[in-house]
Amino acid sequence: MDFAWSDQQKELLAAVDRFVKEQLNYDMIENDRNAVFNHDAWKKCAGFGIQGLPVSEEYGGLGQDPLTTVAALERLGYGCKDNGLLFSINAHMWTAIIPLIFNGNEAQKKKFLPGLVDGSLIGGNAMSEPNSGSDAFALATTAVKKGAKYILNGSKIFVTNGPIADVLLVFAATDKSKGAQGISAFLVEKEFPGLDLSHKIEKMGIRTSPMGEVFFEDCEVPEENLLGKEGAGSWMFTRSMTWERGSILAAHVGTMQRLLETCIRYANERKQGGQSIGKFQQVATKIVEMKMRVERSRHALYHYGWAMNHRKAVYMEAALAKLEISDSWVKCCEDAIQIHGGYGYMVEYEIERELRDSLGSKLYSGTSEIQRNIVASLLGL
Amino acid sequence: MAKTVVLIELDRGQLKRPSLNAITLARQLGSDYALLILGHSLNEVASSLVSYGASTVLVADNPALAEPLADRYAWVIAEAMRKLSATTLLASSSTFSKDILPRVAALVDAPMVTDVLALEQENGETAFRRPVNAGSMLATVRLSGERRVLTVRATAFPTPAADAAPCPIEPFEFDPASLPNDTEFISREERASDRPDLGEARVVIGGGRALRDKESFDRLVGGLADSLGGAIGATRAAVDTGLAPNDYQIGQTGKVIAPDLYIALGISGAIQHLAGIKDSRIIVAINKDPDAPIFQVATYGLVADLHQVVPQLIGAIKAG
Amino acid sequence: MKILVTFKSVPDPYAGAGAAAKSVINPFDEIAIEEALRMRERGEATEVVGVTIGPAQVDEQIRSALAMGIDRALRIDDSRALDPYALARILYSLVTKEAPQVVLMGKQAVDDDSNQVGQMLAGLLGWPQATFVSKIEFLDDKKRARCGRETDSGIEVIAVKLPAVITADLRLNEPRYVSLPGLMKARKKPIETLTCEQLGVKVEPLTTILSISSPPRRPSGVRVTSVEELIAKLKEEAKVL
Repeated sequence: MDFAWSDQQKELLAAVDRFVKEQLNYDMIENDRNAVFNHDAWKKCAGFGIQGLPVSEEYGGLGQDPLTTVAALERLGYGCKDNGLLFSINAHMWTAIIPLIFNGNEAQKKKFLPGLVDGSLIGGNAMSEPNSGSDAFALATTAVKKGAKYILNGSKIFVTNGPIADVLLVFAATDKSKGAQGISAFLVEKEFPGLDLSHKIEKMGIRTSPMGEVFFEDCEVPEENLLGKEGAGSWMFTRSMTWERGSILAAHVGTMQRLLETCIRYANERKQGGQSIGKFQQVATKIVEMKMRVERSRHALYHYGWAMNHRKAVYMEAALAKLEISDSWVKCCEDAIQIHGGYGYMVEYEIERELRDSLGSKLYSGTSEIQRNIVASLLGL
Repeated sequence: MAKTVVLIELDRGQLKRPSLNAITLARQLGSDYALLILGHSLNEVASSLVSYGASTVLVADNPALAEPLADRYAWVIAEAMRKLSATTLLASSSTFSKDILPRVAALVDAPMVTDVLALEQENGETAFRRPVNAGSMLATVRLSGERRVLTVRATAFPTPAADAAPCPIEPFEFDPASLPNDTEFISREERASDRPDLGEARVVIGGGRALRDKESFDRLVGGLADSLGGAIGATRAAVDTGLAPNDYQIGQTGKVIAPDLYIALGISGAIQHLAGIKDSRIIVAINKDPDAPIFQVATYGLVADLHQVVPQLIGAIKAG
Repeated sequence: MKILVTFKSVPDPYAGAGAAAKSVINPFDEIAIEEALRMRERGEATEVVGVTIGPAQVDEQIRSALAMGIDRALRIDDSRALDPYALARILYSLVTKEAPQVVLMGKQAVDDDSNQVGQMLAGLLGWPQATFVSKIEFLDDKKRARCGRETDSGIEVIAVKLPAVITADLRLNEPRYVSLPGLMKARKKPIETLTCEQLGVKVEPLTTILSISSPPRRPSGVRVTSVEELIAKLKEEAKVL
């Protein structure tokens, strides 16, 4: 077992550190208040190479392995406080790029991947529906073949990047009688007739990542935009979901590391009764536990990345990483607020936003309950 | 025979007074020295230099030298050194001397030391102290070879007295046709100001990015400077955000100042800025952030919002 | 048009106090590299060659320069503590071999703060120079360059015939960051190594650093709590008002 990074990985991670420090340290309070997506930062990340990390060089990407990719994202999260931007990038990478890499034909890859990598295209997926969330495959949205086109009808909810998307991977039932085996995936482009992306949803946290409802009213999708085969949608979704689960919180291991450092600094500087509050056992204990959470999360993440690199079945590792990091992130934010006292509750200190941003991590990409179900079933329960 | 040449700087025909301070190092070095000026129509300036104890004031006066173009000036200075068999060339540090002197050094095959702060003797050898790493360290350096070129920090050497018997003024003759002709002077920014020169002012007010906008910068930094008859300086951040012009920048890559009083408004005190101010006699810092590094070097520190206290300060000074 | 851009490896000037100082490309040289790349991107330059002098450890900064986008890199292998004049003489022999139209470099290295090499190199070559430059435009079908220079009394504009040596000031541009694709491409670009012997130049530094010391600390000052108190101190104690 070797925990060391190679020289090339070190060089890459150092470049991420420098990029984030110099290019992504913008003011977040106003953007969060007004729910503003930072297009400029999106473009910068793409130009730097983030969105293309797992994409092969042939399509303009970097061809990095999963472990290096999640480590790079961890560094991104350490320096970048815009959790909404990070969420949008993750949704784009795991729910649009990855399914395309694994299921796209050459023409589809050539058409979409270079733009998704260089930031000129924003992607996402549309799976959840008003009446199907965790029960993902009970879809009401239908796709009916008509000549060289599929006609989509229905609606989707909680579509990350929906309001700003150029291309969405939409899951719809092509054959309701087959249940999960009757679901197909389509690359729906924003200018297709019958597509309505205009309904934005307001959220508690990660407010700078636009989310919306999407409506299909006789939406015409050319048959060449069917991804994979008819009926392959649910299998495709499950496969990319493993990537999504394991990787989507990578950045927030970095976020936690930053919170930990902020708390240590504050605990050393803040004096009460003539000594720094870090000397109080109750404060010190919270910080030690925070450190333990960061390390557990990091190990869970790297172990997932390592397992992916070795192409083993990673359902367990992905679910464990998702559970560990989401629980830890929320708890770290709560503790950080508690350590900062009243200041932590104030917007200016930028910790309350972290808590709001963290809570969603127990919901998206499969709730914590679903992750526990996966682990339980893999344990033979 | 003079062994040292001190280059005296003119700015649009006017003597730059800090450039005289290099004479003090020439005196410490102990040998004869000649003063050298280059330009056009220099009679008046030349006669103002005769009492500084030089063996001669050498004047290179020619229309072709009206503007300080490095290739021409360096060529003339190197010729003058050869003619005088001079082994040392000195000038006070400025963008003028830093542009020209290294080029002369290459022409006369000499090593060079930039920003000399003091002359030292180490084991009986002459050495020079100079700042490195934005002034966070001092290096003592020795030069070998027959000739040497030095720029000196004007703030580290006192202005020499002009109390010697007048020396002769000699024209330095050269053939203008042999001057390099590869550089054309096009223009120079003219900015009229009633305020004293930043490098020479007794009082300097410095402004940082905390001033936020140009209106505040002019009103608060400018207002305080005017109430004290002082000059204005700025940090790199303030210049980068357009609050002040480039030549106001104080610090490692800008100007180095040592006024009687420096008042830093909304300046955090990056090491690069401190490099330019730490020889000031009195430093006052006004900053909202009690942990700003500027307070570590300030003689007097006031933790306050400058937008509130600077108008009070201006009022109090005006009230006497 | 070929551009030679020189750069030096220095301890990171923006590393916090106490942090182990990582080496970086001298910030002024990074600006020079950026300018050369922009010249190539505008179609004014055809090749940007980077050169540095130092031991193998500086290869890391060379890779950064390659990742920014320079076409090829040369390292003159010399681990001695060379002074600016020695560096200028080594570069002189390289420039006569590479024959660029423009040599670009930072106006000074932020560790040594000497601000000499560019001017010395220009003097040795007999080329015109434009130092502390914040703007460059080519004129007359790239036979001349019009340069804005940052001087103590404001911007001065000159035009120099090419070939010339130009040294960059802070505000010439804002250097690009090293992107990951740039980094990957850089891994495939070779770093050519030369010795002074191969260049046929023999230099010995004429400057020796005898000792390094810390400057005297300013005596710690006092905090005042009001404008009135400040004025009183300035009048009565400091006697500057």
